[in-house]
Amino acid sequence: MDTIKIKKTSLKSIFDVISKSHRIIGPKIENDVLILTEAGFEDIPSGYKELQKPGQYRMTKDAGDEIFSFSLGPDSFKRFFHPPLKELFGFKKTTKAISANRILKKEMPIALIGVRACDISAIKLYDRIFLEGPVKDSIYDSLRKDALIIGVNCLRPGDNCFCSSMGAGPQIKDNFDIAVTELKDGLIIETGSAAGKKIMEELPFEKITEADMREKEAVSENCKRLIKKSVRSEELPWLIYKNLEHPRWSDIARRDLECGNCTQVCPTCFCNSTYDYMQLSGVVNKSSEISGVRVMKWDSCFSKNFARVHGGNFRPSRRARFRQWMSHKLAYTFEQFGLTGCVGCGRCITWCPAGIDITQELEALRKQ
Amino acid sequence: MYDKSLPFEATIKWIKKESRDTITYSLGINNKEIHSAYSFRPGQFNMLYIPGIGESPISISSSPSDHDLTHTVRIAGDVTTAISKLNEGDILGIRGPMGNGWPIEEIEDRNLIIIAGGLGIAPLRSVIRHMRATSKKSKTGSQDSTCGKGIILYGAKSPKDILFRDEFPGYRDTFEVQLTVDKADPEEYWRGEVGLITELINKVSFNPLTTVAFVCGPEVMMQAVTKELLLRGVPGEKIFITMERNMNCGIGICGHCFFGPKFTCKDGPVFRYTDIEEFFSIKEL
Repeated sequence: MDTIKIKKTSLKSIFDVISKSHRIIGPKIENDVLILTEAGFEDIPSGYKELQKPGQYRMTKDAGDEIFSFSLGPDSFKRFFHPPLKELFGFKKTTKAISANRILKKEMPIALIGVRACDISAIKLYDRIFLEGPVKDSIYDSLRKDALIIGVNCLRPGDNCFCSSMGAGPQIKDNFDIAVTELKDGLIIETGSAAGKKIMEELPFEKITEADMREKEAVSENCKRLIKKSVRSEELPWLIYKNLEHPRWSDIARRDLECGNCTQVCPTCFCNSTYDYMQLSGVVNKSSEISGVRVMKWDSCFSKNFARVHGGNFRPSRRARFRQWMSHKLAYTFEQFGLTGCVGCGRCITWCPAGIDITQELEALRKQ
Repeated sequence: MYDKSLPFEATIKWIKKESRDTITYSLGINNKEIHSAYSFRPGQFNMLYIPGIGESPISISSSPSDHDLTHTVRIAGDVTTAISKLNEGDILGIRGPMGNGWPIEEIEDRNLIIIAGGLGIAPLRSVIRHMRATSKKSKTGSQDSTCGKGIILYGAKSPKDILFRDEFPGYRDTFEVQLTVDKADPEEYWRGEVGLITELINKVSFNPLTTVAFVCGPEVMMQAVTKELLLRGVPGEKIFITMERNMNCGIGICGHCFFGPKFTCKDGPVFRYTDIEEFFSIKEL
């Protein structure tokens, strides 16, 4: 790992260097919400800050002159590596043949700028799911392979953050190309890959002092201290397994609206369904010949039919569906992938219209 | 290796109606390269695909040593209904094989007891035929096989719902076969048992300590059967059961088939009882 220091104004040169080879996806404010989209250096919402509470989100501009003053919006990397709708293959069927062909689009790889430690932990989990399963997901692979992860160490936590409890943050440790830490008078740039090093070599750097390094460590320490929420994660997954029949699940079910917002904003939720999309023009000659595309679409374990099979539904009750979601986050993924399924980003808390707080629900399971 | 996330073409070689709602299809893989690379273990399944309708996970009912690659399908949903409309010579898509299959190596030096309910016989037929094929071979080799006969216990709704009924007499050379039905048709002569499959377990003799059990059927049936086997003294580690869940992708990336922390499609569908014991009795998991 190499470390350099650059001037705050030189951040633009990172954008300039990367944009030659990558499509830059960065933070931007649209309709008063922080989103990730194709963005430039000037789009970074410096000085903005979100107020987040269970079920609440407001953008304000009073956070001083820091570049990375903001924390997390509903968007994460997930939309770019695992698109909400992706075409798996095109199919064509005649009476004599069926063909299925992968639709490969040659696109410029993306560079995600401003990824926080929690989301970097989630990417690690995604890589396990999509690249290390019995079959490598070639579409995920094509989007992920040449992508650049430019991480940013959080200055301040969001109001619903609890990454330190889940061991996912606030400091970026691995799985990145470049990690940026904002100091009072500059930016510390660390590299985590050969691609990251190549970019660093093109940046105008200045001398780094020991005081700078101390300040850099203090940034994450300070951020950690400011985190308001916590869970006692050392008791996971045991705590969930012992309480699968806890009365609290029924209590949550009464408040839960099953909108699925939490699964959409969660950076580790990956569940999906596949469908055949038929083109009207694909039905020719008395339907003896049809064509279309098979698509994969984000789904949610809160969908009523998610666990349905012929003759029955394995999770007919809302209680069971909520339990499935929370148990998957806080217990099952440890066993499945050896990683946490909850990275403590707090998005599910912020974007839940009923204000259900996963940290409080876990705490409630502890009580008999 | 071919790409298991892309369906390949198969032609229906022959069709056999097993019961009023269950049909067996023998499929031939058209692509020569895939055909020669394709191999499976008993208990694995394929995703059968009808373009424009969708995919359905169907277990392979033939054994790897059989000439045919058969799938026994119960007509239940959109995909299986579409399959039922196909004729010999028609084509469909396949992805597979998926899943772990039955642990055949566990049978070595132990007595196998196969317990099936309804359509659950399909993946076990693969084991039965595999065992027969291999035991025939070993007969020419060593004669002093200490293994006793295997046991097949199979329960169906009525005599008409017994799948592969014509094949059971042939299986009696390697297996003791006991059939039971929930209700015997008054019009039909039935000399098998009437009643629950759990009652059959008590009617056959086996040494629980040297037995390995393969169980497949509806979840309630498997719960009752496992309970009975444990009471008889069969160790939990030697009981293997199959879980049914909504398998959508077959390769562990869609999340539909979760059974507790297990992906039914890639960790299962066959599970060692002791590995899932703590989740088995929890409703709506």
